[in-house]
Amino acid sequence: MWVAGLGQVAAGDDGVGLRVIELLMQADLPEGVSLHRLADPVELVPLLGTGEAGVVVDAVLAAPPGVTRVLTEDELDPSPSAAVSSHGLSVLQAVRLARAIHPAVRPVTFVAIQIAAPTAHHHGLSPDVEAAALEAAALVLATAQAGGITTLRP
Amino acid sequence: MSEARTIKVDYLARVEGEGALTVVVKDGVAQDVRLSIFEPPRFYEGFLRGRGFREVPDITARICGICPVAYQMSSCQAMEDALGWVVPEPLQRLRRLLYCGEWIESHALHMFMLHAPDFLGVQDVVALAELHPEWVKAALHIKKTGNELMRIVGGREIHPINVRVGGFYRAPRKAELAALLPDLESSLQEAQAALPWLATFDYPELERDWELVTLKHPEEYPFCRGNIVSSHGIDVPFSGFPDHFEERHMAHSNALHAVVKARGHYHTGPMARFNLCFDTLGEAAKASAAQVGLTVPCMNPFKSLLVRGVELIQALDEAVRIVADYRPPSEPFVEGPVHAGTGHGASEAPRGMLYHRYTIDDAGLITDAVIVPPTAQNQGTIEDDLRALAPQLATLPLEDATWRAEQAVRNYDPCISCATHFLKLRFEEAS
Repeated sequence: MWVAGLGQVAAGDDGVGLRVIELLMQADLPEGVSLHRLADPVELVPLLGTGEAGVVVDAVLAAPPGVTRVLTEDELDPSPSAAVSSHGLSVLQAVRLARAIHPAVRPVTFVAIQIAAPTAHHHGLSPDVEAAALEAAALVLATAQAGGITTLRP
Repeated sequence: MSEARTIKVDYLARVEGEGALTVVVKDGVAQDVRLSIFEPPRFYEGFLRGRGFREVPDITARICGICPVAYQMSSCQAMEDALGWVVPEPLQRLRRLLYCGEWIESHALHMFMLHAPDFLGVQDVVALAELHPEWVKAALHIKKTGNELMRIVGGREIHPINVRVGGFYRAPRKAELAALLPDLESSLQEAQAALPWLATFDYPELERDWELVTLKHPEEYPFCRGNIVSSHGIDVPFSGFPDHFEERHMAHSNALHAVVKARGHYHTGPMARFNLCFDTLGEAAKASAAQVGLTVPCMNPFKSLLVRGVELIQALDEAVRIVADYRPPSEPFVEGPVHAGTGHGASEAPRGMLYHRYTIDDAGLITDAVIVPPTAQNQGTIEDDLRALAPQLATLPLEDATWRAEQAVRNYDPCISCATHFLKLRFEEAS
């Protein structure tokens, strides 16, 4: 099983996915769980290609900030505007790309943490989002300790 | 009286940044062509003033997430020119290796993920992967190899942090680079195998007579060194740029248009490098070009896809050779006295020549800065290409004409900036 956090540490709450990975690095994870800090969704493609079960932790723009949601692939926004960069892929595009080029991509679980749109260049999370990061890390940890992601969905 | 046809793309997709396109065609003649860049200006040249000269590679790298190395190289060169610091050959080769990394990741991204879909009639790389998973898989591997090279030499993949005026903060160890050699070699093989596939695409007919502008060096394919040359006779050191080129404000765009003084628009980028510097390509790149029948002169902008493919092979081949011969330099950087001065720098970003000029005071603080990016230089030429394409656009169904016009813009891999955007098309028939 792999767990990947996405984000940009210099964009405040957008770095919450990376913060969750940081918290999990300090936790007592079962053997066989790998952690990944990613800056670009395209980096998900080789992870998905391993055929292992995986969890993607990322920020989503939604109110109120600090709410953690567990989503499936079908619940992600498929519009092209969901891509954060014109020279990059959205998370969903990365998953679809992986499915097109790798035969054994397993369904992915998304742990989405709601944030407000970052408006300034700074490091660190707001208190609500930091609390959500702790909650998300605990959720992923409990799931990994329970033996897999099949129990992650509430 | 025939009707005018307006092709309007409110948001250009698969280019970097926020731009729109309007083409009005009547009787097969372009009445109006506007590539509008509406992304707000970012005022880098303004806020560089008052900053220390050592800050410039890190600040200017932030202009672009796709070609930060180009900004770092041109800015460092300009500062070294102002200060009279001479960077020795081993560090020049390391800079060249870092530049290879940027070309590899940028060209692989543009060719396979942004431009190839145009030729195959699919919307994006995800659809392309459903048709040709083997080539998309290869492209992702090539791009990852370029990113890894950037990480090892530059400290990280995006906005490298290891570049400083005078060289690098730290030179990579031999073993770090050697570990990447198998990936570089297999990426080279993938790029060589992909070029004949790319050559099977249907390339629209269009022959242009651009003035081509590039750096040119007698012994190496241009990255950081040489003179600024043009197909129309310019041959000057970097300091000659202001004598021959100028930037103009255009009402419809937030980006300046660069022109050759007294002549007008010009073309910088892979087509200029390939046509004017073909003799300095390595044997591997030349052999691949010959294999697909790509010769100079090549003045069809749509064939820029193939030219980028040749340059991708060149960058991978050079990277293999530099890594194989690499010996860490005795010192990772040079330094010298700081004094007032003006310096010029230029290098070849993946999408064209990037010129910087700075003036610093005795304390090393910047008092004036000029940055001329490749997309500003190519903007007028993109519009000229669309005018030349107008007779074709007039005969195509509107949807196909819109597709072709966007494809013509993407021939240039324009880098308007790093920004979120999306595609929204609107068609208008005007009388």
